[in-house]
Amino acid sequence: MTEHDTAALYIRDLTLEYGRNTVVRDVNLAFKPQELGCLLGPSGCGKSTLLRAIAGFQPLSSGEIWLDSHLLASPGVSVAPEHRGVGMVFQDIALFPHLTVDENIRFGLTAWSAAQAEDRVRELLALIGLEALGARYPHELSGGQQQRVALARAMAPKPSLLLLDEPFSGLDTELRGRLASEVRTILKSDGICSLLVTHDQREAFDFADRIAVMHDGHICQIDTPYNLYHEPENAFVAHFVGPGELVDATVVSPQAVESPLGVLTNDQPLAFEPGTAVKLFLRPDDLIHDDASDYQAILVNKHFRGAHHLYEVRLDNGVVLGCFAPSHHNHTIGESIGVRLDVEHLVVFPITAVGHG
Amino acid sequence: MAVTTLTKSDRLGGFRPNGLLLSTLGAALCVALPLCVVLSFILTTQSDVWAHLVDTLLLRYATNTVALSALVAVGVVALGVPAAWMIAFYRFPGRTVLSWLLLLPMAYPAYILAYTYTGVLEYAGPVLTWMRAIDAPAWLMAPILNIRSLPGAALMLSLVLYPYVYLLARAAFLEQSANLMEAGYTLGQTRFAVLRRIVIPMARPAIAAGALLAIMETVADFGTVQFFGVQTLTTGIMRTYYGFGDTAGAAQLSSVLLGFVAVLVILERYSRHRVRYYSDQTRRLNQAAQHLTGTRALTVQLLCAIPVIFGFFIPTVLLVNWTVFEAQLQSLWLLAWNSFALAGVSSVLIVGVALLVAYANRLFPSRQLSHMTTLIGLGYALPGVVVAIGVLIPFGSMDAWISAQLAPLGVEPTLWLSGSLFAVMFAYLVRFLAVANGNVVSGLSRIRPSLDHSGRLLGLSQGAVLSQIHVPLMRSSVLTAILVCFVDILKELPATLILRPFDFNTLAVRAYELAGQERLIDAAPASLCIVLVGLLPVILLNRSIGKL
Repeated sequence: MTEHDTAALYIRDLTLEYGRNTVVRDVNLAFKPQELGCLLGPSGCGKSTLLRAIAGFQPLSSGEIWLDSHLLASPGVSVAPEHRGVGMVFQDIALFPHLTVDENIRFGLTAWSAAQAEDRVRELLALIGLEALGARYPHELSGGQQQRVALARAMAPKPSLLLLDEPFSGLDTELRGRLASEVRTILKSDGICSLLVTHDQREAFDFADRIAVMHDGHICQIDTPYNLYHEPENAFVAHFVGPGELVDATVVSPQAVESPLGVLTNDQPLAFEPGTAVKLFLRPDDLIHDDASDYQAILVNKHFRGAHHLYEVRLDNGVVLGCFAPSHHNHTIGESIGVRLDVEHLVVFPITAVGHG
Repeated sequence: MAVTTLTKSDRLGGFRPNGLLLSTLGAALCVALPLCVVLSFILTTQSDVWAHLVDTLLLRYATNTVALSALVAVGVVALGVPAAWMIAFYRFPGRTVLSWLLLLPMAYPAYILAYTYTGVLEYAGPVLTWMRAIDAPAWLMAPILNIRSLPGAALMLSLVLYPYVYLLARAAFLEQSANLMEAGYTLGQTRFAVLRRIVIPMARPAIAAGALLAIMETVADFGTVQFFGVQTLTTGIMRTYYGFGDTAGAAQLSSVLLGFVAVLVILERYSRHRVRYYSDQTRRLNQAAQHLTGTRALTVQLLCAIPVIFGFFIPTVLLVNWTVFEAQLQSLWLLAWNSFALAGVSSVLIVGVALLVAYANRLFPSRQLSHMTTLIGLGYALPGVVVAIGVLIPFGSMDAWISAQLAPLGVEPTLWLSGSLFAVMFAYLVRFLAVANGNVVSGLSRIRPSLDHSGRLLGLSQGAVLSQIHVPLMRSSVLTAILVCFVDILKELPATLILRPFDFNTLAVRAYELAGQERLIDAAPASLCIVLVGLLPVILLNRSIGKL
C-alpha cells in the first residue's frame, strides 16, 4: 500500500502562486485518518495559503490535493468548497453574529433530519462543555467559548478533514495553551483528521501528533514534536522549535565530536568523516550547571523562572549558551560557574548548510 | 475653556455647576421646552375641536401617515438595497462614479421634487401633451395625471430618501467578513444559501435602520403631502392651527405624531444596536467581488443609474431649464440673502452650542450629563411642525405677558418673541443641535485623551493644548457640522413657515408659496438654489466615506 492509499489528506508536488509570486513550492504532505497534523512556520511562510488551497479558496498552479482517495484539486480540477467535506475554524472565529450558539452549530446540518441534527448539536455542546449556553449569541460569550463554538460548528457535519487557521491567535497566552490541548482532546475523541496552522511552537507541540515545519514556501521537516525538538534536520527547524545556539566542533571519531566543553559521544554513528569541522546545536537543557565540573563559564545574564533559572553563560571562546540551573542555585552575574554538557543525541550540521534555511 | 483631566475625587463629586455644564443644561432645556409644551396638552381639557377631530379626521390622518410610511419603506428598500448590493458585490466600469452619484438625490428636499415633477407631468405639460399626441392608452396616462396622490407622495419621498438605505446597506455588505461567507461554504452551503442565510440576514438591521430614518423623515414631511393634498398628521396640525385656530388641538395632534416618532426612534436605536454586533472590521469582502463585463455590466450600470436619473438628473435638468428660460422671479437675490444669512448665523450658533455640549461631556462626564445629551439627540427626530407649535405656544404666552407689563407704559402690544427671527432660530436649535453635536463629537472622539496628556507632559499649558492640538484637529469636523446644519436649515420648511416674522421670506418658503399658487415654473430658481447648495454636504459625505 502506498502512502496515497492509506492517507486521509494527501498532497503531491503542490505549488501555489499569487500572480507571479510563488507562495508555496513543491509541497508533499500526507496525514493519516484520525491524525492531528500541524503546519508550523513563521508568518509569511505560505502555511495559511496552503490551508486555503485545501479548503478550496485558492487555485493551484501545479500538484494535486487528495482527501480520502478523492481528488479535490489539481490545476484543471477544483471541487467547490461546499462539496469537499472539509471543515474550517477561522482565525477571526467567524461565528455568525445573527445566530445563536445552537443555530451556529446546526448551520451546516441542512441535509440532516431535525432529530439527528438536534442530537448532534447536543453532543457537540457537551463535548465543548457549553451545554448551558446554546441559546446565547456569540457576542455574549468569552473569546475562549467563542472559539470552542466555532470548533463545534466546523465539526458538526462530520467533515473528513478539519482545518484550523491560527484559531488561538486572538486569545491571551494562558488561554491559548490550555485551549490547544483541550481542542486536541476533543478532536481525538471525535476521530477527525485535522490540520492546524500556527506560528507558535508551543501550541503546535500541545496539539499535534506530527508537525510540518514550513519556511519560505516549502516544508523543511515533518516529524513528531519530540523528534523536531531533539533531532532537527536543519538549523532553521532547530532554531524555530526552541531556543539553542550553534557552537563550532570537530568530528574526532565516527561517533564523537570535540567541542569547547570537551569530547561528546553520540548514541549512533555520525554522518561526517573524522576531521570535519561542523556546527553543534546545543539547547539550554543540554548544558547543566555543575559546581564540580572542570569547565568554567561566566554568568552574563539570568532569568528566574520559578522552578529553575535559565542562565546565559559565556564560554572561553566568547560563545554565549543557555543553561538551566536549579532554582536555589542563585549565582550573581559576572561570577564564574562550573558547567558540563549532558547530551545523548548530538545535533550536528555541516558548516555550509548553517544559516536560516 | 479649560482642557484638563479631572482627578478621581473631582469626578466622584458629580454634578458641579460651571459654565460648560450650565450651557449644556440650557441646551437640553431648549430641546425639552417644545417637547414638554406639546405633551402637556395631553393632560389639559379636551377642546371641542379635538372632539371633532377624534370623531372625524384623526383616523384619516393617522391611516394616511401609516400608509405613506409603509409605501416609503417599500420604496426606499426597493431603490436602495439593490443598488447597494450591486455596488458592494460586483465590479464593473463606472462603479466608482455610480457609487457616489447614487447619493445625489439627498440634495433634494422631497417637496422640491414634488413641485418639479408636478410641473412637468401636469395636464398641459410636455409629457401628457406628447402622450395624447401619440394616443397613449388611458391606463398609462391615469397614474401620471394622478401624481398628486398618496402613492405619488410616497414615490417622491422614496426618490430622495433611499440614499439612507443605500448607504447603510452598502456599509453592511462591505463590512461583512469574507471569512463568514467562506465559513458558510466549508459548512456545505451553496452560494445562494450563503446569501440567503448569512449575507442578507446580517445586513437586515442596517437596512431596517436606513428605512426607519426614511420613515422618520416621512412622518415629519409637510411640504410634499401638503402640495399633493394628502391629509397626514403634519398637514392636520397645520390645518387645526391655522384653519380652526385651535392651539390645543394642534398640540394634541402633535402628541399623536410624537407617539409615532417615539416608536420609530426606539426601533431605530434597536436596529443600530444590532448593526454594531454584526459589523466586523477584519477581512473585507472586496476581494470576493465578482467582475462583470459586456451585457451583464451594462444591465447593472442601468439598474444603478435608475434611482439617480429619476431622483436627480431629470428634476435638475428641468429646474435648470425653467430657471434659465422660463421662470419669472424678481426678488431671488433678496430671498437668497435672507436664507443664507439666517442659515449662516443659525448654524454657527448651533455648532457653538454643540461644541459647549461636547466639551462638557468630555471634561465632566457624569450620568446626568449623558442623559441631557441623549435628550438633545432626540431633537433630530422632532418633526418641524411639532417644534414650531411647541415654540409658538410658550412664546405667545410670553408675548402676552410682556405686552401686559408694558401696557401701562403706553407701548403697543406686539409679537415680541413669537413672530421674530429669534423664534425661528430657537426652533432650528432644537431641531438641528443633534446633527451638529453628532459631527462635533465624532471629531472630538478622534482626539484621544492621551493626546491631551502628551501635550501637557511636553510642557503645553491647558490653553496651549486647546489652541495647538484641538483647534487644528477639530477644524474640519466643525466646518462640516456648520455646513450640514446650514443646508438642513436651508431645506427646512414647516418651522420657518410657521415662525418667520411677517413678510420675511426664504427660498424654501417662497418656493412653497409659488407652488401653492400653481406657479411651479416660477418656483424653479429658488428650488435650484436650495438643491445646488444642498449638494455640498453630499459631496463631503462621499469624501468622508472615502474610496471603496
